[in-house]
Amino acid sequence: AAEPWPENAALYQQLKEEQILLSDNASSLAVQAFLQMCNLPVRVVCRANAEYMSPSGKVPFIHVGNQVVSELGPIVQFVKAKGHSLSDGLDEVQKAEMKAYMELVNNMLLTAELYLQWCDDVTVEEITHPRYGSPYPWPLNRILSYQKQWEVKRKMKAIGWAGRTPKQVLDDVDQCCQALSQRLGTQPYFFNKQPTELDALVFGHLFTILTTELITDELSEKVKNYSNLTAFCRRIEQQYFEGRDKDSSATAAARPAMRSLLR
Amino acid sequence: MAKSMELICWGGDWGLPSLHPESLTVMAYAKFSGAPLTLNLVNNSWRAPKGDVPVLTSEDTVISQPVKILDFLRKQKYNADYELSAKEGADTLAYIALLEEKLLPALLHTFWVEAENYCSVTKPWFASRIAFPLSLYLPGKMSREALNRILLTRGKPPLFSLTEVEAQIYRDAKECLNLLSKRLGTSQFFFGDMPTTLDAFVFGFLAPIYKVCFPRVQLQEHLKQLPNLCRFCDDILTCYFRLSVSGHSPSGQDTADANLQKLTQLVNKESNLIEKMDDNLRKSPQHPPRKLTMLKLAAGGEESSPLNRLSP
Repeated sequence: AAEPWPENAALYQQLKEEQILLSDNASSLAVQAFLQMCNLPVRVVCRANAEYMSPSGKVPFIHVGNQVVSELGPIVQFVKAKGHSLSDGLDEVQKAEMKAYMELVNNMLLTAELYLQWCDDVTVEEITHPRYGSPYPWPLNRILSYQKQWEVKRKMKAIGWAGRTPKQVLDDVDQCCQALSQRLGTQPYFFNKQPTELDALVFGHLFTILTTELITDELSEKVKNYSNLTAFCRRIEQQYFEGRDKDSSATAAARPAMRSLLR
Repeated sequence: MAKSMELICWGGDWGLPSLHPESLTVMAYAKFSGAPLTLNLVNNSWRAPKGDVPVLTSEDTVISQPVKILDFLRKQKYNADYELSAKEGADTLAYIALLEEKLLPALLHTFWVEAENYCSVTKPWFASRIAFPLSLYLPGKMSREALNRILLTRGKPPLFSLTEVEAQIYRDAKECLNLLSKRLGTSQFFFGDMPTTLDAFVFGFLAPIYKVCFPRVQLQEHLKQLPNLCRFCDDILTCYFRLSVSGHSPSGQDTADANLQKLTQLVNKESNLIEKMDDNLRKSPQHPPRKLTMLKLAAGGEESSPLNRLSP
């Protein structure tokens, strides 16, 4: 039974123009794409302290009725409990594959994004530190970003990525994109003709990588090597994001803003 | 192309060639691809393992992580994956990521963080294979690293407490096992009839859960409810590691045997008691047994030996 989706459902993320980082933007875009695919309207609210408001410490999170759910996995389950699901038409083996590919994206792409943002010194100095603490006055902005960097570095060390060079990380991104490209093949979506949460997740990450300018273009070049992936991103953007009349569609505003601010 | 390659890894017990998931993965892959590896099991010598085990040494190169070791073996033309299509190769990467994200935390927890398991099984086993005084320090360090890894990848900042996370990681692990079982279905290996990298990884992660006997075994019990995964592990053990299946769950077999023995002993004791009681009864003056015994002896001859004993 489909429960009614409230009108004032809101998705919280950090400030789009000045504060949000590559990995968080990717996660947020993935959730927005997923909700669009389910035809559930949600408005995007930007708050500087979104990370602290979130129940799990990660953005984005949605506020629906009187419930707050964060991160794509729990949001997908929450939406399913409300009666909307994109992956009902898949059989068991396909569902297993879908979950496996979602983990691949989380394991490799997300971790690579975090690494490049927080462990690559040049990027950290020029992009991440200024952006992360921008809503706050000095010295709070420096303290918060150092704290976050320390947290991310601890995590990298625990999973064994601390000793990696950026080149190795980029090679891993390439391998991941190759796997995604081979799985997608010539189909419009990953499974049949209908998009699923995997498509939303892949779109979120790849689109953000393609449209965010970092110090070098190496990361987006890796994705551009695979034409079916770029076509996939364009297709989803046209289908789900271009018709939106809301104040600023997530993508159109993000692109020039990011390009101008991130140099 | 036969360079001499040596693999340093943890040894095994309970019917497994190794208890350490990563070592087991590399060993399985070597068997599948036919690579000649000399195994150097970490034992009580002074050549202490420096952090990353398994380590492959081949002439001058030293390689430490399983993924890199497998890459190296492939470059040496020991490739178990050459029959896979591109899509199957992509699936392999995806499923390995699934294993690492969903199953590994629970595996680490069962081995290294769960207090009863760690103190009664893991720590003594590993400590017995490392030289003193490292044996006092290294298992503790491995346990702390495991806990750290679980908390940082699964815990919620800023408190990072374990109790919230435990239930979630076991749920995730059971779901992962269910997914693997559905993917395997009824086929012998994950991609047809020949084992590949994915089979090596799955075997490396599943076999320790399946075989090692812990006091707290919720994951093992869940795995035993998925018969195709158990069959998968047993098949690889019998075909590629030449270990007899009867050794597979020695404790299980032993307890069954022990129970059977106890039962037969009890039955024997009971029957002896009954015989003695009969003895006493027949010897007692109230009972006029002699006629009976005489009759029986006359009729039956040798068959009734207890009755023979009865005869005065």
